[in-house]
Amino acid sequence: MTYIEVDGLTKRFGDTVALDDVSFEVPAGEFVIVLGVSGSGKSTLLRTLSGLLSPTEGEIRIDGEPMIEPRPEVAMIFQQHNIIGDMTAYSNSLSGGVHRSGFLSSVLQLQDEEEKHRALDALDTVGLLDEAEQKARRMSGGQQQRVGIARALVQQPNVLLADEPVASLDPGSAQSVMDYLRTASDDRDLTTFCSLHQVNIARKFGHRFIGLRDGKKVFDGYRDELTIDVIDDLYGDIDTEGMFVRDDGDADAATDEVATS
Amino acid sequence: MTTDTTTSDGTVGSDAVDDEGSDVPNRIAEQFENIRQTRRRRALGWTGLLAFLAFATVQAFAATELLNPDARLETFTDSLTGFFPITRHFGVIPFLDFGQYVAFIRQENLLYDPEIGGLLFQFPPNLADIYAFFFLELGIFQIFGEAGITLAMGFVGTVLGFPFALVFGTLGSERVTPFPFNFIFRGTMSFIRAIPAIIWTLIFIPFLGLGPASAAIAIAFDTIGNLGRLFVDELEEIEDGPIEAMRTTGASKPQIVFFGMLSQVRTAFIAWTLYIFEINVRIGVTVGVIGAGGLGYVLTSQQNLLRFTEMMATLLAIFLLIISVELFSQRLRSRLRSDDVEMGIWELIAGFPRRMADSMLK
Repeated sequence: MTYIEVDGLTKRFGDTVALDDVSFEVPAGEFVIVLGVSGSGKSTLLRTLSGLLSPTEGEIRIDGEPMIEPRPEVAMIFQQHNIIGDMTAYSNSLSGGVHRSGFLSSVLQLQDEEEKHRALDALDTVGLLDEAEQKARRMSGGQQQRVGIARALVQQPNVLLADEPVASLDPGSAQSVMDYLRTASDDRDLTTFCSLHQVNIARKFGHRFIGLRDGKKVFDGYRDELTIDVIDDLYGDIDTEGMFVRDDGDADAATDEVATS
Repeated sequence: MTTDTTTSDGTVGSDAVDDEGSDVPNRIAEQFENIRQTRRRRALGWTGLLAFLAFATVQAFAATELLNPDARLETFTDSLTGFFPITRHFGVIPFLDFGQYVAFIRQENLLYDPEIGGLLFQFPPNLADIYAFFFLELGIFQIFGEAGITLAMGFVGTVLGFPFALVFGTLGSERVTPFPFNFIFRGTMSFIRAIPAIIWTLIFIPFLGLGPASAAIAIAFDTIGNLGRLFVDELEEIEDGPIEAMRTTGASKPQIVFFGMLSQVRTAFIAWTLYIFEINVRIGVTVGVIGAGGLGYVLTSQQNLLRFTEMMATLLAIFLLIISVELFSQRLRSRLRSDDVEMGIWELIAGFPRRMADSMLK
C-alpha cells in the first residue's frame, strides 16, 4: 500500500533550484535513506515532507492527504537536535505530545498519567530512562539526539523524518543513534526517511535508497541495487575504496567493520 | 590564480623580472600605497569628527551655563565639613566622626526598625510575637526601616511589572506577532519608556496620594517599558531550530511560543528581571526624593533643613542598600548563568571568607 506519494516535487529559493521534479512512492513501514552530497537537496526534501517548507510545484501526499503544514502524524528529527536545553530529557520528551493537550496543561505539565508514561516509555526506547531528569544541555551530543528521537516518538507519528541525525556525532554515537532510530522505527512500524552522507551507515541501516544530485532524483532502489557505480555517480570522484565492497555477500561484514572502527 | 600553478608561477616570475631595479615587487608597492591612502582618509575623517565634537561640546557648555558658572567654592567647602564632620582625638588628631552618622541612622530607623525587629529578636523567643511579625505586622520589609520601604517599592514594582513586561515583550517580538501589529506593543513600551519613573509617580499622585503606593505603581509601569524592551531584544537572538521542532510536533501557536521560544530564554529573562530589580530599587530612591517616602524622602528633607551630616548619613544608608541588592542579584545571576553544580546556601555563607581570600590572592 502506498503511504507517501511525492509527485513532481519542485522547490525553488529565488533562482536556486533545490529540488527539481522529484517523484516517488513509498509504502508504509519502509526505512528509506536519502543519499547525496551537501547541497544536493536532501534537507530540502525532508523539510518539504515535514511541511516546514511548502513546495513551489508538485504535491506531497501522506496517507492520501496533501502535506501543506506540519501535522502531528509526521515527526522530525534534526541534525542540530533542536531540543530545549533548559528542560530535562523528560520534559523534552513530553513536549512531543503537546498537540494532544491544551496550552495550560502542557505548560504546567498537567497531562494525564498515560501521556507521562508514554514520554518515559519513549525515553526507555532510546535507552535514556535513567537520565530522564537530567538537563538536556548537560547531555552529550548522542544523548541529545536520542532525546530528539524520544520527543518524535511521543508525538505518536506514522512517519519519522530524520535530517542528517548523525552528521554531528562521532562514529560510536552515530552508530548507537542509528540503532535506536532503526529499532524505534521497526517496533512502532513507522515509515522512516533518513538523510545521511555516510555511505557505510546508510548501507547498514537502509531498506531502500533514494539518491539526489543537484536537486534531481538520480537513484531509487533497494539495497542490492546500491552498487559502487551508483555511489560513484552520487558522490563524484571521491575515493570510495574501503567504504564499499562489490561482492554483495560480504557487503554487510565490510561495512560493519568500517562503521565500528 | 591558485587553481593553475604554472600560470601562477609564471606571473610571479615576470613580476620579479619587472622590478629588478627596486627590492619591492609592483603588487606589494601598490597594495602598500592603497593601505596608506585608506589610513590617511580615515585619519582625516577622525580629525574632522573630533573637531566637530569639540565644537558641539563648547555649545553645550554654553547652554548649561558652564561657560560662565555661578561657582561658590566657599559655600561648597563649608558644606563639605557638614558632610564629613570631624572630631579631634586627644584634641589633635582629626578623625571623621562616624558616630554622628550612626546616631542619625539609628534615630530615624534608616536601616532597622527596632519596634518591628524587637518582635523577632528577643530572648527567649516568643512564638506569638514571631507570628505577629510575619502575619500581623507583615514585617519582613518593614524591619529594615526606611531602607525597607525603598526596597519594597522596587520589589513591588518589579513583581507587578514583570507579567505585563512578559506579555508585551513576547507580543512585541516580530516572530510572535507579524510585522505591523507588533508595533502596537513595541510602541506602547516606547511610550512608557519615554516618561521617566519619577514623572509616572507625579501622574499617579492624584490616584494614590503622595507616598510609597504611587511610587510602587510608577515603578511597575516603568518596568513594563524597560524590562519588556529587554525581553524583545532577547527574543531576537533565539535559534530557529527549537521553533521548527515544535512546529513539526503539531503544537498550537501559543505552545510553539512557549516551548520553542520562551523556554530558550528562560534563564536570560530571569537574569534581566533581577537586573531591573536592582535598577528599580535605585529608582525607589529617586522617586522618594519627590516625597514618595523611604530613604529618598529622608534625604531630601534633611537637605531642605541644610543638615548635611544627616544627609550624608542617609547617603551611607542608600549606599549600603544598593550595594547589598546588587551583590545579591549579581550572585544569583552568575549562578543562574553558570553550568556548574549549584552551591548550597550554607556553603555560600560559610565558604565566603575562604573564597574572598582566594580572590584576593589572585
